[in-house]
Amino acid sequence: MGSSVSLAAAPPPPVAPPPALPVGLAQVLPQKAEEKGDGKAAPEKVDWLDLPCPVPYEELQREALMSLKPELFEGLRFDFMKMLNQRFALSHSVYMGSMEVPSQSSDVIKVPSSHYEFGANFLDPKLMLIGRVLTDGRMNARVKCDLTDNLALKIHAQLTNEPHFSQGMFQFDYKGKDYRSQFQIGNNAFYGANYIQSVSPHLSLGGEIFWIGHQRKSGVGFAGRYNTDKMTVTGYFDQVATAQVASTGIVGLSYVQKVSEKVSLASDFMYNQMSRDVTSTFGYDYILRQCRLRGKIDTNGVVGALLEERLNMGVTLLLSAEIDHGKKDYKFGFGLTVGE
Amino acid sequence: MASKVSLKVKGKAKAGKGPKSKEQSTCELVKEWTTWAMKKTKVITHYGFIPLVILIGMNSEPKPHLYQLLSPV
Repeated sequence: MGSSVSLAAAPPPPVAPPPALPVGLAQVLPQKAEEKGDGKAAPEKVDWLDLPCPVPYEELQREALMSLKPELFEGLRFDFMKMLNQRFALSHSVYMGSMEVPSQSSDVIKVPSSHYEFGANFLDPKLMLIGRVLTDGRMNARVKCDLTDNLALKIHAQLTNEPHFSQGMFQFDYKGKDYRSQFQIGNNAFYGANYIQSVSPHLSLGGEIFWIGHQRKSGVGFAGRYNTDKMTVTGYFDQVATAQVASTGIVGLSYVQKVSEKVSLASDFMYNQMSRDVTSTFGYDYILRQCRLRGKIDTNGVVGALLEERLNMGVTLLLSAEIDHGKKDYKFGFGLTVGE
Repeated sequence: MASKVSLKVKGKAKAGKGPKSKEQSTCELVKEWTTWAMKKTKVITHYGFIPLVILIGMNSEPKPHLYQLLSPV
């Protein structure tokens, strides 16, 4: 974070008087300063002008989301990633399974589908390009470019052959000494901005606003994160206002505790103001030598788990299961990932 | 294609009111051109982004060989 002029430039140290030699009785009696030093360690002083840079606003809940929202899937999944170079890789991915079609009734409608996805990644410290194309013509492109030390540009585009279904988003990120700010421009006249600031070595607070032109929607959100080595607490509050419909709001809270190096437990609470819906999720994340197991249980009656087991150098087996007791919807998937 | 667009717009403006017509036509011109540019960018990105990534990747150090692109090993 070095290029900016440090606000904490120390004033020149005061000239200390030369230490007086102990005379007389002082030579015999022990020095008071030594006694204090042997006692309990002084508490760490907080340098309020030198706080660490906070986590980006969209990654505020990243520990909680890693445990509570694993990538569960249904069907067969095969991923192959081939590194041609340290920076350049090609990826091939096959998926065969059922996709859920959203329906008005409470029944779950599944349509069998399959696709092959080809992708190319170029990862450089300053420039990252990721492109993915599917057999049905959909294309996903991501660009991340570090324009300067502190300013980064991210572009994310999802293009389809059908007209009016494509989406694109530009994001400009500025990283300051102890704050981050971001400005977003998207299609459908989407404009957004967010800002997060470190308030203490462990606490950071932030807010965001966005405006969607075509649907006349605007929103405001506030979020906070308290982070130590062992646990993380985050909370957020969003309000969305629409022209016709009354405003909705979401309040959420999450807590992650790292019980040991290998185990962490997470819980999440969300309240939706419009539908007066409360959802609570509890999850665990076991990171062991050969495998990673993540599971969660929900107050909506959904239980899910994802197992990633390293069978061999570069070969990983995936097993995914999700049981929705409320809707009687069962999803089981298995897959293999070859390559890094 | 640009001249076609400007002729169409000017034709419309003449039929409309006098003093406001010039402003409106510039605004509509800019909108038409931006939409045209966005459409062309979308098509170019859709077909050209992945070949661009492959081109940049094949030219980065150490240079991979062409057969590595196609073989599964």
